[in-house]
Amino acid sequence: MLVLDQIHTYYDRIHALKGVSLTVQQGEIVTLIGSNGAGKSTTLRTISGLLNPRMGSITLDGEPIDHLPAHEITRLGISHSPEGRKIFARLTVEENLELGAFARKDKPGIREDMNRVMDLFPRLRERLHQRGGTLSGGEQQMLAIGRALMSRPRILLLDEPSMGLAPLLVEQIFRIIENINEQGTTILLVEQNAHVALSIANRAYVMETGVIVLEGPAAEVLASPQVREAYLGG
Amino acid sequence: MLTRSIQRGLRIGAISFGILTYLILVGLPTRIGDAAMPVLAVAMALLFWISLRGGVSKQDVSARAPAPLFTAGTMAGLFAGALTATLIAFFTGLLADGVRLQPIFDKIVPQNMAALYGVMPGVIATEGIPALGWLRQTLFLTASGIVGALLVLIERSIRQRSFPRIPWLRWVPLILPFVLLAFVIWLGMPGVTFGGNNRGTIRLLATMVTIGSGIFALRAARPGAEQRVFGLLFFLAIAYLPFTLDQFQNSVMGIVFIFVMIGLGLNIVVGFAGLLDLGYVAFFAIGAYVYAFLAAPFSSPWVTAQLQSLGLPYNQPLVSYWMAIPITMVAAGIGGVLLGIPVLRLRGDYLAIVTLGFGEIIRLFMLNLSDLTNGPRGLLNIAPPYLFGINFGSPREIFILALIGAGIVAFAAYRLDGSRLGRAWIAMREDEDVAQATGVNLVRTKLLAFAIGALFAGLAGQLYAARQVNIFPENFSLFVSIDALSLVIVGGMGSIPGVVIGALALKGLPEVLRGVDEYRIVTFAALLVLMMIVRPEGLVPSTRRRRELHEDAEPIAGVDAPSALEQLATAEPTATQKAGRQ
Repeated sequence: MLVLDQIHTYYDRIHALKGVSLTVQQGEIVTLIGSNGAGKSTTLRTISGLLNPRMGSITLDGEPIDHLPAHEITRLGISHSPEGRKIFARLTVEENLELGAFARKDKPGIREDMNRVMDLFPRLRERLHQRGGTLSGGEQQMLAIGRALMSRPRILLLDEPSMGLAPLLVEQIFRIIENINEQGTTILLVEQNAHVALSIANRAYVMETGVIVLEGPAAEVLASPQVREAYLGG
Repeated sequence: MLTRSIQRGLRIGAISFGILTYLILVGLPTRIGDAAMPVLAVAMALLFWISLRGGVSKQDVSARAPAPLFTAGTMAGLFAGALTATLIAFFTGLLADGVRLQPIFDKIVPQNMAALYGVMPGVIATEGIPALGWLRQTLFLTASGIVGALLVLIERSIRQRSFPRIPWLRWVPLILPFVLLAFVIWLGMPGVTFGGNNRGTIRLLATMVTIGSGIFALRAARPGAEQRVFGLLFFLAIAYLPFTLDQFQNSVMGIVFIFVMIGLGLNIVVGFAGLLDLGYVAFFAIGAYVYAFLAAPFSSPWVTAQLQSLGLPYNQPLVSYWMAIPITMVAAGIGGVLLGIPVLRLRGDYLAIVTLGFGEIIRLFMLNLSDLTNGPRGLLNIAPPYLFGINFGSPREIFILALIGAGIVAFAAYRLDGSRLGRAWIAMREDEDVAQATGVNLVRTKLLAFAIGALFAGLAGQLYAARQVNIFPENFSLFVSIDALSLVIVGGMGSIPGVVIGALALKGLPEVLRGVDEYRIVTFAALLVLMMIVRPEGLVPSTRRRRELHEDAEPIAGVDAPSALEQLATAEPTATQKAGRQ
C-alpha cells in the first residue's frame, strides 16, 4: 500500500537519501535497520511529510503523497511516532493522547481509541493526569506510540521504540507492537536493535549511508552473513 | 551550623543594606519625616521575616529552628544596620562640611539625613552628625532583624497548630471587593476629606485593588452557582465604577483597560501559541491609524486628495465609530497575516527579532509616509464615538467602551482557549514537528494566531485613537510592545485574568506612583526583576503554567531552603528558576 520509489532527500547540500525504494504491504510489519546516520529516520520523516524529497515519488494506495504537507499525510492514515520519544513533556498524558487524535472529529471513536490505547498500555491509565515529562523512559515511549495510535492510522511509523530502554522493557514494547499489528495496523519500524526488530518483522530492509543494501524476508535477512557481522556481532 | 547561620545572616544583611541605600537615595526619609528610622525599621522587619522564612513553600517555615533563626536575624540586622548607619554618617559628614551632593544624588539633602536621625534639618548644617546617631540607627535595624526572626517563629507555631476551621472565613476574600467598592464610592462623596490631597490617588488605587481582588474572588468562589452569583455581582460592581470615578480616575482606568485588550491579544500569540512577538505595537498602530483615516480624513493629505477627486466630502468622518470597528479590525488582521507569512519558518529568537523589526517598520512608515500619515505632525481631531447622538469621547465613556471591549475580547479568548484551535496552538507551542505529525496544519494555525491577536490589538488601537483625539507616531513606539509583553508575563502567560491583573499592575500602578516621581521606573524595574525570581509563572498563572514551573519545587523537609532574596545574592538557581528558564 505504501511505495517509495527512488527517493532522494537532502538536508540543504547533504545528500541523505540516495535513491531509497521500499514497499510496505497491508498488514505487514516491515523493519528498516541500519547503523547511526544510515538515513532510517530521514526515510520516516520523508514519508510523514516533515521533510520533502527532492526526487522520487511516494505513493499511498497509488496516490502520490510526496508533496503533501505533514498534517494532510496524517489525515490520510499515516501516523509517525518520532525518534527520541517526542512527547509533549509539559502536557498531561491525557492531553497528549487527545492531541494525537487532533485530526479526527468523531468523539465516540476517540473515546473508544483512548480506551484501546489504555488497554494496550495499562501504565498510561494510571498516569493519565500526570505530566508527560515526569514519566519514565519506557512510559514515555508507550505514550508516544499511544499518541500515534490515536489518529487511528492505517500505517504506523515507529522510530526506534527501543532507544534507551532496558531489555525487559524492549521486549514488552515489541510484544505490544506485534499486538497492534495483529489488530490490523500496518507497521513500518525503524530500529538499531536489529535482533528484536527482525524477530517480529515480516520483511526487512537494511540501510547504509542513504542506500538500501539488502532486503528480503526477516528470517533471511537475520540469517545473512552481512547482517550477522555488522549488527549482531558475528 | 553556627557559621552557616552567620553567613546566612550576613547575606540577608547585605541585600537589605542595598535596599535601604536605595530607599535613602530616592529620598523616602524626607517624605516620612521625623519617624523615618522607626518606619524603616518596621518595613525592614517585614523584609527580614520574608527573607528568613525562606520563600518557596509553607513547609520551609516549619523546618526553621529558633537558634539559627535568631543568629541569622541578629546578624542580618546588625550588618545591615552598621553599613547603613555608616553610609548615612558618611553622607551627613559631607553635607555638614558644606559639600553639595545634590548634583549627583539629588535626594541627599540635609532634610533627608535629618529625618534619619530624627532631628531638625538645621542641626545637620550647624552641628554635623548627631551624637549616638550611628548607634541608634544600628540598634533600630538590629531590632528589626530580631523581630523578623521572631515573626518566623510565630508563623511557625501558628502553622504547626491545627486550628478549628472557621467556616465564615472563606467569605472574606469573596466579600472584600464589595467592601473596597463601598470605600471607593465613599471616598468620592462630597465632604469626605479622608486622605487630604492624596484622596484622588488613594481612590484610584482602591479602584484598582477592587478590580484585582474581584478577580481573585472569582477564582476563590466555588464553581457553579456561587461563582455565577459572584460573577454577576462583580460584573455589576465594575459596571458601576465609571459612574462614580472622576475624570482623572476614569482616564487612567480607560488606558488600563485598553491595555487589557492589547494584552489579551498578545496573550493569544505569546501565551497560547508560544510565538514571541516583540512588534505587537504594529497592529495597535494599524488599528489607530485606520480609524484616524476614517474619522479624520481631512488630517491626511492623501486621503483628502482622494476624496476631493471623487467629489466626496472630506471634512467630516467617513463612517461612524461603530461602522469603523470591522474595518479597523480587518485591517489589523490583514497586518497580522502579512507579518505571519514571512515568519512562518522562524522560531524562538529569530522570530522575536523579525517581529521587532516589523514593529519598527510600521512606526517608520507612520513617520515618513507624510502624505498619508501626516508624518510626525500626526493625525488630528479624530472624531469621538457617538451613540444616539451623544458624544462618547469623554474619559468616562471611553472607560465604559474599554470595559465592554475588554469583556468581549476576554470572552473570545476564553472560548478560543478551550477550542480545537486552542489545542492546536498548545501542540504547536510545545513541539512544531510533533504537532504536524498529529495533524495540526501549522501554516493555518500560526497565521490564525497572528491574525486573531492582531484583530484584538486593532480594536484596542481604534479606541485608543478615539481617546487621544490626536495621534502621533511616537504613541506607537517599541515601549508599547514591551509594556504589553511585560503585562502578559507579570500576569501569567496564557492566563486571561492574569492579563487584567498585569495591566492594573503595569499601566495602573505607575499612575498611582506618580507621586514617587523620577524613580518610579527604576522602582518598577526592580519589582519586575524580583517578581521574575519569586514568581516566574506570573501573578495569576494559568493552571498549566503553574504546573510547568512548580513541578519540582517541593522542598525536602529539614533542608534549609534559601529564600528568594538569598537566591538573588548567591545566584544559585533553584529548581523553580531552572524550570522557569527552560
